[in-house]
Amino acid sequence: MKTSGKKAANLTKPPPERFLPLTPAMFHILLALADRERHGYHIMQEVEERTEGKVHLGPGTLYGSIKRMLAAGWIEETEERPDADLDDERRRYYRLTDFGYRVAGAEAERLERLVKSARMKKLLSKTQVSR
Amino acid sequence: MMPSTEREQPGNLNCRLARQVYCLLLRGYPSAFRDEYGIAMEQVFHDCYRAEKERGGPWRLTAFWFRTLLDLIKTVPQEHLENLGKENSAMKNLGRDVVAVAGCVGIILAAFLLLSYGRRHEASSILMFGYALDALVVTGAIGNLIVFLLVKTTRLDAVRVALWTFLIVNGVPAIVLAIVGGRIDPQFRATATLVGYTVSFLFWFGVHWAWSLTKARMQPAN
Repeated sequence: MKTSGKKAANLTKPPPERFLPLTPAMFHILLALADRERHGYHIMQEVEERTEGKVHLGPGTLYGSIKRMLAAGWIEETEERPDADLDDERRRYYRLTDFGYRVAGAEAERLERLVKSARMKKLLSKTQVSR
Repeated sequence: MMPSTEREQPGNLNCRLARQVYCLLLRGYPSAFRDEYGIAMEQVFHDCYRAEKERGGPWRLTAFWFRTLLDLIKTVPQEHLENLGKENSAMKNLGRDVVAVAGCVGIILAAFLLLSYGRRHEASSILMFGYALDALVVTGAIGNLIVFLLVKTTRLDAVRVALWTFLIVNGVPAIVLAIVGGRIDPQFRATATLVGYTVSFLFWFGVHWAWSLTKARMQPAN
């Protein structure tokens, strides 16, 4: 029943492509949440590590984006905590929704197409690509 | 997770100070946003600050502060702009605001035209209210502008703002004129001036009070 309910909810949502392109901050946050739920500071750390310190999300950018993505139904706040004893109860955890996955996937495909175009125009050398 | 008692140690005075400064800066955001995410943002700032402090010296902290300030400069106006059009925002109340501003301008204009007509035609029936009309025009224009700006940019109570603004805007010139007027002009009528400014205060405060009652009457219906 739940699955059919989700499917029905997804059908009523507009196609994910309508929201593209995403802002870099939004895409970074969606990427950070793609594999697991995280709290705000954890998202910032993940983004910083993944981009080798090139991208720093400020608290305003982070929570502004979170607010918009919550409103759009791309992410949701979760009550579940990895380990309640080790964690601060004031922290708020977020995870991707099914629709959020679709939006993130659509953006990734858009970027992939862009990279393909860049490769075709020989803007990317093989070494750059493998790196 | 660091226990809260450890954060309170004297060695972490800089951390606490930085957190307090950031808390103050958070006041720049719209209150709804602050209520929802203020604590989480403060917590994230604190975690980042501590991490930067552990990683390196003052340059890292300076760079961190610079990034944080840039983030605030970029996102505070963004949140305020987004807040427009939502409940209790300027856009939502635009209709009411237009009516209120048009009403005040109309009253000021009417008083001004009446006074001009009375002076031009030396109509004693109008000029006997000259002091009050004069005060109505001048303090109405200044006072309403101040009230409007304060009510729109802060969360202060509109009636209180009107009370204090019109008390100051009418009271200060009334007292100054009562003291200085007689010395400058021997024909100066201190009592009439005081009555004029008192009438002006009662009138404008009354208008704002009555306006607030109409708003209160509309709210339960919403």
